[in-house]
Amino acid sequence: MAMTEEKENVDNLLEGFFEAGRGDAPVASADLMERIYADALAEIPAPPAPARAGLLARISEAIGGWPAMAGLATATVAGIWIGYAQPVGLGVFSAAEETAAAFELGDLLPGYGGLALEEG
Amino acid sequence: MPFDARGDDSDEALLAAYGRGDAAAVRLLTERLTPRLYGYAARMLRDAAEAEDVAQEAMLRLWRMAPDWQAGQAKVSTWAFRVVSNLCIDRLRKSGRSVDLDAAPEPRDASASAEAGLIEADRAAALQEALARLPDRQREAVVLRHLEGLSNPEIAEIMDIGVEAVESLTARAKRGLAAGLAGRRAELGYGDD
Repeated sequence: MAMTEEKENVDNLLEGFFEAGRGDAPVASADLMERIYADALAEIPAPPAPARAGLLARISEAIGGWPAMAGLATATVAGIWIGYAQPVGLGVFSAAEETAAAFELGDLLPGYGGLALEEG
Repeated sequence: MPFDARGDDSDEALLAAYGRGDAAAVRLLTERLTPRLYGYAARMLRDAAEAEDVAQEAMLRLWRMAPDWQAGQAKVSTWAFRVVSNLCIDRLRKSGRSVDLDAAPEPRDASASAEAGLIEADRAAALQEALARLPDRQREAVVLRHLEGLSNPEIAEIMDIGVEAVESLTARAKRGLAAGLAGRRAELGYGDD
């Protein structure tokens, strides 16, 4: 009982002092806060590195990413189409060329035959 | 994430975010922890410049430890108080200012000259003087309990002792403070009762 009384007396005696102490807390200066911000930013860990891209992804990236790949694919398909598809009218032109090859030079230049005879 | 949205995050969540390289967590964590750590160090060391060095060192250790922080371990604030506590005790011992547990607090002369109208700051100063005469471990316990408002289990973790030992240190510290301050109650405007 005596100990309880002593404890109560001590608590009553000190409470006002503790209250005053809590109201008079030491204040951290703005300079300290700035130094701590600076430390934090200097020590900030690097964000985790992304997984290493595969060979195709790296080639794609090197030539300009997906827009460049789309252009390249379009050009490739167009090239194949041009290579396989026979344009309309090309056959007619080819046939005419074969017919022309059947003529001799003399057929096209009537005077050529006479000149040849004179030289002979 | 916008800065304001971080206000409700726990210290642990903010530290984990910092550990992942998120700079937005820095300001909030610094504003939450630094004033408390500095205040505690200043009360232990009674030297503003030294207390600033200790608070900065403790926060630096926190930043460096962030990537390895394990969720579910101690609270960030408890961890930081513990670092400050150890740094303060080291400094007190190295500078010869340490007060051993065996040293008895020196009671003040009860007939000290009275001055009427002393303000609250004088009471705080008287408390600080009385705290400085306590053994280091008693001062740690009573400052953490009655000025920083931490719980006994938190203090036990910070001081690396059991809860009962904390209670014992706090009780002895309070008796020492009472002995030092009893004679000053009238002087500090409390009157006789």
